Amino acid sequence: METILYCVQYFVDLGAAVMLPIVIFIVAMCLGQSFGKALKSGISIGIGFIGIGLVIGLMLNNLAPAAKAMSANFGISMNIIDLGWPGSSPMTWASSIALVAIPVAIAVNILMLILKLTRVVNIDIWNIWHFAFTGAIINIATGSYTLGILGVALHAAYAYKIGDWFAPVTEKYFGLKGIAMPHGTTGWFAPIAVPVDLILNRIPIIKDIDINLESFEKHFGSLGDPAIMGAIMGIIIGILAGYDVRGVLTLGIQMAAVIILMPQVVKHIMSGLLPVSETARTVLQKHFKNSTFYIGLDCALLLGDPAVVAASLLFIPVTIFIAAIVPGNQILPFGDLPTIGFFIAMAVGVHGGNLFRTLITGSIVMFMTIWISNQMIGLHTVLAANAGQVTSSVSQFASLDQGGSPVTYILTQIMNTTNVTGLALIGIFYGACVVCTYFWHKKQLAAMTQEAELRLENK
Amino acid sequence: MKKIIVACGGAVATSTVAASAIKDLCKANQIPVEIIQIRMSEIESNLDGVDLIVTTMRIKKDFGKPYVNGMAFLSGINKETTEEQILSYLK
Repeated sequence: METILYCVQYFVDLGAAVMLPIVIFIVAMCLGQSFGKALKSGISIGIGFIGIGLVIGLMLNNLAPAAKAMSANFGISMNIIDLGWPGSSPMTWASSIALVAIPVAIAVNILMLILKLTRVVNIDIWNIWHFAFTGAIINIATGSYTLGILGVALHAAYAYKIGDWFAPVTEKYFGLKGIAMPHGTTGWFAPIAVPVDLILNRIPIIKDIDINLESFEKHFGSLGDPAIMGAIMGIIIGILAGYDVRGVLTLGIQMAAVIILMPQVVKHIMSGLLPVSETARTVLQKHFKNSTFYIGLDCALLLGDPAVVAASLLFIPVTIFIAAIVPGNQILPFGDLPTIGFFIAMAVGVHGGNLFRTLITGSIVMFMTIWISNQMIGLHTVLAANAGQVTSSVSQFASLDQGGSPVTYILTQIMNTTNVTGLALIGIFYGACVVCTYFWHKKQLAAMTQEAELRLENK
Repeated sequence: MKKIIVACGGAVATSTVAASAIKDLCKANQIPVEIIQIRMSEIESNLDGVDLIVTTMRIKKDFGKPYVNGMAFLSGINKETTEEQILSYLK
């Protein structure tokens, strides 16, 4: 018995970059991949982990001291860097709960399909990391692996319902027929857009404001290029930190490099997961292939819409501004800025492309996200430490996506309450939004059925 | 050598699925390709010498290059049509 425990411990101590390639290789072989392909998948996921370690090191070693200097100069406290989802997803995949999360999320999906609780057939395996993040955080907070798995299941079930509720928006506004977005980021904030829309519709004058910023992209589009945006951010932080010219320019180029290199290294993790996601897709499609189902896909599909592009550009400065006014905020938004669109894409759809309304919903969303991710710093740091990413120069970790998700926060607080006021405030506010969304969805469905009937009568 | 941009929202998840499928497709048809996998917001600054743009989401903007929507690689619906479309631009 002791020998087995010793072997398991030795295996876990190898670290994510060695352990996961072995796990993925074995899983891929079991799923019937050829030896060469399985080996390639395994090594690929290892490459991703080594790569993200290098890039996050580059980011934290240079940006963190600058952010500290900037904070000291201005008496503000934004000295923890937002890693963004490219930073938090690898940590999650390295957690002990991640690989179990994939079968759990698929099992919950199949169960809900059989019980007719959802119409979403989720084939988006990558984004199971959002559910796994919730599970891993709960596991750390409570020390219980079972509660962690329960967290994965609950978050997954909720995401599939979100997919159902917003499928009409996905079809009507974004023109993606038969597609749903049971996504960890776009998913959770979408219900906030619904009450905002209902309230704004009742206020005279304001209800008629409709800002359309088609020309916005033409004028500021190049600033939205991630390389340029990263450089500008680096230079501004360097100046505020009181660096000399050489230091300012160096930080600018370093941050441009971080923003561009991040997805380039993280994509290897996705490559490693391909055999798993392909098998899952084939199996699910074979059994649920009827037109009454929605196919659940990544909400990256929404980020091409011009109004979403314009809103994403707008929210880069807006998010930094909000970070400055959130009480007690310690986090400097950075890693999530190039893909801030993930936080607002579905709101654009709910608001029918109205950027004024998106600005209001998005501001509420970002305020809440930043506040929650501050509450999560402690647990997030443990997650990073478990993945072996804590270095001597950086001791605290945070991310807006997924560290700032109210779903993760509420579930964690319910299972291990540390902040009753926080749980009550976020829980009541978010719960109200979800209830509102439920009735809004019923009404939408009724309207759509009526429309379809009218069309039939006219024929 | 043909140059293909494969783009999605974050240049990590969906574009990797599409890029890997396109790589296999070109290998099977013996077309040498270079695949540039980037975010959608980086397409504009990477257009030089590109023969084809594939995105996993719908784009409404015209970049003046041949364009194919690669959503079929994710959903599996009409995958053959998409593959034929891609090959027709590369041959």
